[in-house]
This record gives sequence, structure tokens and C-alpha cells, in this order.
Amino acid sequence: MNALTGNSLKISRVNIVSKKFQRHSPSGNSVTLKSPNTSTNFQPIRATVTGGADSGETHSTVLSTESARDQLRPDMAASPDVTDGRIAGISAAIRVIPDFPKPGILFQDITTLLLDPKAFKDTIDLFVERYKDKDISVVAGIEARGFIFGPPIALAIGAKFVPIRKPNKLPGEVISEEYSLEYGTDKMEMHVGAVQAGERALVIDDLIATGGTLCAAISLLERVGVQVVECACVIELADLKGRDRLGDRPLFVLVSSI
Amino acid sequence: MSAGRDDDPRIKGIKSKIRVVPDFPKPGIMFQDITTLLLAPNVFKDTIDLFVERYKNKNISVVAGIEARGFIFGPPIALAIGAKFVPLRKPRKLPGEVMSEEYILEYGSDCLEMHIGAVEQGERALVVDDLIATGGTLCAAMKLLERAGAEVVECACLIELPDLKGRERLNGKPLYVLVESH
Repeated sequence: MNALTGNSLKISRVNIVSKKFQRHSPSGNSVTLKSPNTSTNFQPIRATVTGGADSGETHSTVLSTESARDQLRPDMAASPDVTDGRIAGISAAIRVIPDFPKPGILFQDITTLLLDPKAFKDTIDLFVERYKDKDISVVAGIEARGFIFGPPIALAIGAKFVPIRKPNKLPGEVISEEYSLEYGTDKMEMHVGAVQAGERALVIDDLIATGGTLCAAISLLERVGVQVVECACVIELADLKGRDRLGDRPLFVLVSSI
Repeated sequence: MSAGRDDDPRIKGIKSKIRVVPDFPKPGIMFQDITTLLLAPNVFKDTIDLFVERYKNKNISVVAGIEARGFIFGPPIALAIGAKFVPLRKPRKLPGEVMSEEYILEYGSDCLEMHIGAVEQGERALVVDDLIATGGTLCAAMKLLERAGAEVVECACLIELPDLKGRERLNGKPLYVLVESH
């Protein structure tokens, strides 16, 4: 872990999620998460659930399967199970850099996560577990930090990797999508022929802010007939409401920063 | 160094999946496009496997990847061998405190940056990029790592353009490549 890694943003996320969980848990004990300073302090939540058909016994279970969680919270989970002990380690490994690239911005730096092989592996595993049985044939990664997370996921689930790039980087014939910036516009490009109509795709980036870049990537894929199954990011800046900009396209993130 | 590589049956598939795009980025250049390889999951996997098999028992603790195509190949290798991944980036992309290394281009110069503190004294490092041409970028990458006190064990690329003699520019550091393109 990096000495520069700050705590405040991650702690607020962990506590909020634990409160949500307690509200929905049907009965029994739950352990309030302590604010972790390191991932080793993280305590998984345990809840009692009614056990097997005949015995009527209750047993303690760490609710870590999607089906178990869906019994408590029937809506499609937009974030991983809070009981997953890996999230705290991932969150703690992200470094916040104030005033980059300009004053007032708190930059979420994932390079410190990449320096922690276990946390990096856990990050990839969390995505792979979610997508491996979803018949995804394409993982599209947005330049440049989407290139770091996309390929390991693609390799693990047996999908193609398609780089979505800034203008004039891809050498072959491309299709372009323009999108708005705070001041002016920018463009994203994808190779013609990289994807086929009817394919099921994932779009990956390290972070979603306003959602402009992700939207442009989704447009590129949908224009050629690809179904964007989900967008997946390590970090969401919830206040910037990028999730709303994606409309009805699902978004899955590991860490939400307020 | 590359013993057995040419005999490996996976190499043919890898070579066949690299697309050559003429006159990019400018007339006369035959651009080696690896994006078509990324569209073939088995071949992409073979590529990574070949590097992982070579490096997994070499006590490599750092894989440094050169922006941007080194970001595609470096992380899967790092994950498989349990090493850190360190992105080496164009100027002003990395948010924290950085060290810079300038290098010469055909016209003018450019700069590569690495976060201070990413690499520690005595670590054993690999440098990964998709291709070595003149070797300028790889050279700058090696210098950054060495300035931080790491030992560069080897540079690894998918493709070498031997006519551009990049290998000679690496100051004797070993270079391992999967395919050559003349």
C-alpha cells in the first residue's frame, strides 16, 4: 500500500454500503464495518439465514453469492456484494491526488492499485466473476487506462479486446464518435470490422465521471449493431451523475467516491 | 535467449494475426497493427503465455509498460507472474510526482514519465511494449527504471523491426521478441 493513499473518500463509501445492507437484512446478527485503515481490519458482514429444508436450523453465512444477495435486494446489483472482503483492499489502494489536472479536482489515481498485485488481481477477478457466464464476446477498453483493465478481463472470459482510441491513433479504417467536453469537443475512434452486429459487449474504463466518454464508446458500438450489455469501471464519481447519462444502460462499479 | 521461440507452434498464429497497414502514420511506413491479434482470443492468450512462461521464474517484481500499447500486454503478464505493473507515460498524464526522461525522435524529442516511488531500489524489472523500432522509447524506459534503482532484466516486445537496429540501442540489455518484420 502506498503511504500517499488517503482514507476519507473510501471510508464514506464503505459505511454507506454497510447501512444499506443492515436495512435489508431480514434477521439476525450483522456486524458494523469498522472504518478500515488497512484492508486487514475489514470485517465481512455476517447474517443468519434459515438453513436447510428439514432441520429448521439457522446457520451463519457470509452472503457472498449473487443469488443470496438478490433475495435481500431484488434489483440488479449495481455494485459488488459489500461482504466481499476484496473491495476494502481495492479502495484503500486507490490514491487521491488533489488539484490534478487543475485546481479543485480530486484525481482518483489507480496506479497505486497496480502496484499492489493482490489488489489488482482482486479487481480483475471481481469483474471476471460477474461476466464470465454472460456470453460476452467483446470487451471494449477506453484509452488509455481502459487498456490496463480491459485485456485481463477479455483474456479471462475468452472475449476479443477492442481498443477505443483518441483520434489518429488507430492505423486502419475507423468510425468516429464526437463527444462534448467542458470546453469544446473530442472524438473517440474504433476500427471498422473489429466488432460484428449482434455481438454482446462490455465497455471498460478505470473511472466514470460525467459519462461523456463512456457514452461515446457505447455509441460507437451500438452504431454497428453491437449490444452493450454493461459498462464497468473501477471507480464512480457519483456526484457527477455519469450513471444518469448512461440512461438505461447498466453500470457496474467497484468503488463509489463521493 | 530466444531458444526454442521460432519452433514454437504458437508463433505462426501470432504472426498471421498481425496486420500490416501501409503508409501509416505517413507515406512509406508499413505499420504493424496488433489490434487484429487482440480480436483473436486464443492468439492473444498465446502471446501472453509465451511471455509468462519465459518470466515467471525469474523473480521479476515489476513489469513496466509503455503507453499506450504496452498497457495492453504488460498488465496480463504482471498479473500472471505476480508482479507490479508500472505505466510509463507521455508527459502530464501521471498525476503524482514524476521523474522524466527525454528521448530523441526523428524530428525533435519527446519525454517519458514514471511515478516517483513506483519502483524501489533493487527490484528486477521487465519493460514491455508492442514493438521495438529504433529503440528510443525502450531506451528511455530503461533509463527511468535504472534511475529509480531497479535492474532491467529484459525488454520484451511482440515485434521487432530489425532493419532499424533498435536492439543495438539498448546498451547491451537483452531483448526478447516473438516475431521479426523486415
